[in-house]
Amino acid sequence: MIQAMINRKPVSVPEGTTILEAARQVQVKIPTLCHHPDLPPTAACGICIVRLEGTKRMLRACCTPIEDGMKIITHDPEIVEVRRTVLELILSNHPNDCLKCGRNQSCELQNLAADFGIREELFEKFIGNIPKDDSTNAFVIEPDKCIHCGRCIEICQEIQGVWALSFLGRGFNSRFAPAAGQKMGDSPCVVCGQCASHCPTGAIFEKDDTLKVWQELQNPDTFCVVQIAPVVRVAIGEAFGMPPGTNTTGKLYTVLRRLGFNAVFDTTFAADVTINEEATEFVERFVHGKGPLPLITSCCPSWVIYLEKQVPDMVDYFSSCKSPQQISGLLTKTYYAEKMGIDLSKIVVVSIMPCTSKKTELSRTEEMFASGYQDVDYSLTTRELARMIKQTGKDFVNLPDSEPDHMLGEYSGAGVIFGTTGGVMEAALRSAYSFITG
Amino acid sequence: MAALTAKDFDAIKTSVQDGAKNWIRVGMSTCGIAAGAGKIYRALEEEISRQGQSVSLRTCGCLGMCYAEPLVEVCIEGLPRVVYCRVTEDCAREIVRGHVMGRKLLQDYILAMHYEEAFS
Amino acid sequence: MSDKTVLLQDTTAGIATGTNDFFGVFKAALRESNLADNVRLVRVADMGVYNQGVVMTILPENITYANVEVHDIKRIIGVTLKHGNPVKDLLYQPKFRQMRLVLKNCGRLDPGSIDDYIATDGYRALLKAVEQKTPEDVIAELKNSGLRGRGGGGYSTGLKWQFTREAEGETKYVICNADEGDPGAYMDRSVLEGNPHSVIEGMLLAGYAIGSSQGFFYIRAEYPLAIERVQKALDQARDRGLLGANILGSAFSMDIEIRLGAGAFVCGEETALIASIEGKRGTPVPRPPYPSVRGLWGMPTCINNVETLANVAPIILHGADWFAGIGTSSSKGTKVFALTGKVRNSGLVEVPMGTTLRDIVFDIGGGIASGKKFKAVQTGGPSGGVIPEKYLDTPVDYDTLQKLGSIMGSGGMIVMDEDDCMVDIAKFYIKFCVEESCGKCAPCRIGGYQILHILEGITQGRGTLQDLDRLILIARAMKMGSLCGLGQTAANPVISTLTYFEDEYREHIVNRRCPARKCKALLQFSIIRHQCKKCGLCARACPENAITGDREHGYTIDTDKCIHCGMCFDVCKFSAVERI
Repeated sequence: MIQAMINRKPVSVPEGTTILEAARQVQVKIPTLCHHPDLPPTAACGICIVRLEGTKRMLRACCTPIEDGMKIITHDPEIVEVRRTVLELILSNHPNDCLKCGRNQSCELQNLAADFGIREELFEKFIGNIPKDDSTNAFVIEPDKCIHCGRCIEICQEIQGVWALSFLGRGFNSRFAPAAGQKMGDSPCVVCGQCASHCPTGAIFEKDDTLKVWQELQNPDTFCVVQIAPVVRVAIGEAFGMPPGTNTTGKLYTVLRRLGFNAVFDTTFAADVTINEEATEFVERFVHGKGPLPLITSCCPSWVIYLEKQVPDMVDYFSSCKSPQQISGLLTKTYYAEKMGIDLSKIVVVSIMPCTSKKTELSRTEEMFASGYQDVDYSLTTRELARMIKQTGKDFVNLPDSEPDHMLGEYSGAGVIFGTTGGVMEAALRSAYSFITG
Repeated sequence: MAALTAKDFDAIKTSVQDGAKNWIRVGMSTCGIAAGAGKIYRALEEEISRQGQSVSLRTCGCLGMCYAEPLVEVCIEGLPRVVYCRVTEDCAREIVRGHVMGRKLLQDYILAMHYEEAFS
Repeated sequence: MSDKTVLLQDTTAGIATGTNDFFGVFKAALRESNLADNVRLVRVADMGVYNQGVVMTILPENITYANVEVHDIKRIIGVTLKHGNPVKDLLYQPKFRQMRLVLKNCGRLDPGSIDDYIATDGYRALLKAVEQKTPEDVIAELKNSGLRGRGGGGYSTGLKWQFTREAEGETKYVICNADEGDPGAYMDRSVLEGNPHSVIEGMLLAGYAIGSSQGFFYIRAEYPLAIERVQKALDQARDRGLLGANILGSAFSMDIEIRLGAGAFVCGEETALIASIEGKRGTPVPRPPYPSVRGLWGMPTCINNVETLANVAPIILHGADWFAGIGTSSSKGTKVFALTGKVRNSGLVEVPMGTTLRDIVFDIGGGIASGKKFKAVQTGGPSGGVIPEKYLDTPVDYDTLQKLGSIMGSGGMIVMDEDDCMVDIAKFYIKFCVEESCGKCAPCRIGGYQILHILEGITQGRGTLQDLDRLILIARAMKMGSLCGLGQTAANPVISTLTYFEDEYREHIVNRRCPARKCKALLQFSIIRHQCKKCGLCARACPENAITGDREHGYTIDTDKCIHCGMCFDVCKFSAVERI
C-alpha cells in the first residue's frame, strides 16, 4: 500500500493508483476534461494539474501514479487560475455555438466553462473553418468543435482496432481525421459510433433524423409503423432521470402510440424469427454439410462492415440471415401490409435502435429493399426518441403501461436475450439443439 | 578484417605517429564545406600533384573557429605547425609553393589561437 | 642558434600606409642583428588576443608577449631570440582560454579513419573497462565525476545509468540523442562529423555499464554529413570487432544502428523520440514512468546527449577526480557553446564550467562585430532567455543562469547588439515553438499560437497594454500545464525579454516605435532635405508611388501611402533617407 498526503490529509491506496483516483479518498474530485474512465489517459488537456507541495513542479493527476511519501496539493489560487486560463485558451479555439449544438446541456466543455464562471472572451478567437463531414450518413463530424482530447482516436485504434481515425498535421493545425484526410465514408470506418459516444463535445454527433420522422407522422396519407429494439427499453429511462437499467417497456408502447404511430411492434419478435433462420442454417451446415463451418453471425452492421473491410477472406463463413431490424421491416411491408390491406407505398417503418450503426444498415445493399421499397425507412437512436418525447412535453415517467400491437408484436425469451452479450449465440444454439433433437 | 586486440592498439598508435611527417589537413565539416573547403582541397590536390610533392593531404573535422573557415593546417618537418584561415584557391596554391616547397610561412593568413589542453 | 618563429599580431594596420609599421621596424631590427636568416617573422590573421596592443608569440618556446612597443624590440631580440629566455614584464598570460576536452581531437584526426582515433588513445577506455572494471565500477566512476546531461536537462549521468541498470527488463537500450533542434546550436553536429568514434565509444561504455547489447543513434535527418560519417564509423568499428559479439575478447557484446529523425524539434524530447523510433506519431507521453524504467518498446532505456557521451571515455581513461577538478562545485567538466550572432569570432567554444559570459563573448568571441553596442546574449535556445549587460559577469553553469530567468540549455549562445529588437527576438522564438509544437496538449498548442498572435500585433503597431498582462497569464498556463519541456519552456524568451526590456515593449505599444529599428511596420521613413541629391532613385523604387517631387525641388515621402517596406532606404546612395 502507498502512504501519501493529499491536501495535508493522509491517503492509503494500492500501488499504481493515480493521483486522480487517490484524491477521491479525501473528497476531492479533481476537474478533468480529456480523461475518460473507459480509456487509458491521453494527458492532453492540462486541466487536472496538481502541485507537488512546496515546489513549482506540476503533475497531471489523471496519469501520474501516486508514490510513497508524495505530498500533493490539488488546488490553490494559482492552480485554479491556470486551469481557467487553459480553459479560456480552449474556448478561444472553439465555435461556442452551444445553442445550435447537439450537445447543448450535455457537453463536458460546457460544464467546465460553467463551473469556472467564464464570463468574457479573454483571447482572440481562431476557428479552423474545416468543413463538416456527414459522409457516413450515421453521424456528423464537425472538426472545429474538437478539443483534441484524443478519445475518439484511442477508442478507434486501440479498443475497436479499426484505425479509421488518427491525428493529422501538427501543432495548431493538427486535426483528427481518417488517413490522408479522406472522407469518413471512404475510410476503414465501420460506423460503430464509439467515437461519437466518447466525444466530450459536439465534434462527433449522431445524425438527427427526427425532423423527417415528424414530417411522416404529420402526413395524413402515411401509415407509420415503429419497431423497438430490445435494449432501448432499459436505456431510455436515464434520459428522464430514472436510474439506468429501469425497464420501461410498457411506457414505451404507450408513448409511441401517443406520438402518432399507427402500429407499435417489438423488434424482439423479429429476433425470434432470426433465431429460427440462424438455427436452421446452422443445422444445414452442421448436419448436412451445406456450407462451411464455423457459422459466424452478428446483427450488428458495423460488425459486418468490419468483416468485409478487414477480414474479407472470412465472408463465406458469415450467416446469410438478415438482422431483426430488417426482418421486422420486411415482414411489415409484406405479410402485415397484405393481411391488413394497407397500400405498400404508404407504409413508413421507423426503428428505434440503441446505436448509430443501424442507420447505415437501412440502404447498405439491394437486399434491404426486398419488399420492393426500402424495408426500414428511418432508424432513430435512443437519444433521438428521448428528444422527440421531450418536444411533446409528455411526462414519460408517469405514463401508464400498455401492450404492443399483436402480430409481429409477440415474442419469446430467445429474442429478448439478443440485448445482452452472447444472447444471440445462446438463442441460436438452444434452437438448433431443439431442431436436431426434436 | 581481423578483430582488434589490446596489442593492436599500441601498434596502430606507433604506426600513425611514425607516419607522414609532412602533411596538410583541410577542415571538412559542414562549416568548412559551406565556406568552400571542397574547392580548396581540390586546389591543394592539384597543385601537390603538379609540383610532384610528397606531402600527405588529409581531411579533418571542425576546429571550432567556424568564422574563419576554410581552415588548412600545415605541418612540414623543421617548420612550426600552423593553421591558415579564410584560405582561397590562390592561397592554397601558395601554401604548396611557398610553404611546402619554399619553406616560408605565408603572411596574414595564420590563425594562432591559444588553447588549454584538458588532457594530453 | 636554432631557428625561431615570431608570430606577430600587428594591430596598427599600418601596413598599407607604411606608418607605424611594427612589422617593418621589427624586420629591420632583425636584419641589423643578423638574425634575418634564423628568425621567421610572420604576420598572423588572428591570435585571439584583443585590446592588448601588439601581440607576438615566439616559437618553439611558446612565449607570448602583449602590449609590445617599438622600444621593446631590442630587449626581445637580445633576451628571447638570442638566448631563449622570457622578458618577464612583457609576458602575457591570457586571463582565460578555451579548454578542449570534448573537441580535443576534432580538427586533429580524420573522422573517416578508425586508426587515427585509436592513435589518440581511442577505444582504450573501453578496453580498460572490459578488462579491469565491472559495470558497477564504471557507474561509480561516472557518478563520482559529476558529469551531468549536456543536452540541457543536467541530470546526473551516473545516476541515470544506475537506474537503468537496476530497472527490470529482459532487454535494455542505449540511445544517443542527436536530434539537436535548437536554432543556432551545432555542437553535436560537429562532434558527430569530426570525431564520431568518441561518441560510439561512449555508447559502448554506457551499454557495458547498464547491461545493454543494442544501441541506437537518433540523428536528425537534416544532418546528412553527420549521418554519413557516423555510419562509416559504425561500419569500421564493426569490421574491427569493436561492435558485435565478444568485443575485445570479453563477454560484452553490443551493436549500434542509426535511426533518422524526420523534421520534428519535439522529437528531441525523450518520450517523443522513443515514439518516433517505434514508428508512432512523435508526441510525448507523461513521465513517470521515466525511460530508465520503461522506455523503448517498454524496456529500460538510457538516453544520453552526444556531448555527454563524448565525455565518457576521457572520464574512464583519466579518472573521476580529474574530471571533477574542472568546473564548479555543482557543474563539473567543460561545456561546448555554439557562439553565434553579432559576435566577431563565431564558432564553437569549449570552456570549463564557471567561465563568465563576458569572457566567452568578449575575450574569446572578440566582442561585437562592427563595433556596435552589446545588448544581450541569448542562451539555451527556445527554452532559454536573454541576459543583459549588467549580468555578463555571471559564471556559466547549470544553476546560475536559471536564477536570471534563462538556462544554459544545450549550449546555444546568440549575441545581440543594438540593432536587435527584443520583441522581435521573442516573436522569433515563439514562432519556432508554434511551428514545432506537436499539438497534443492545449496549453502549448493554443497558448503558443495566442502569444505569437499578440507579439505580431505588438510588432505591427496594434499592441495594447493589456496584451502584456495576457502574455504573462498565458506564459504561466503554458509553464504549468504543458505536457512536455517544449511547451513548458516555450514562453521563457517572452518572459525574459519582458523582464529585462519592458521599456522596449512599451515603446512599441504606446509610442508605436521600435527603438532597434527592426520592426518594419513601425518604421517611419523621411527624406533628409540637405542630404538629398534630388536624383529620384527612391521615387522610382517605391512600390506604392508614395514619393513625389522632381529634380529641382527634391522629393518627399507621403507617410499615409508608405507601407514601410524600406526600399527607399535601401536604394539611396547618399544616406538621405532617414529611418526612425
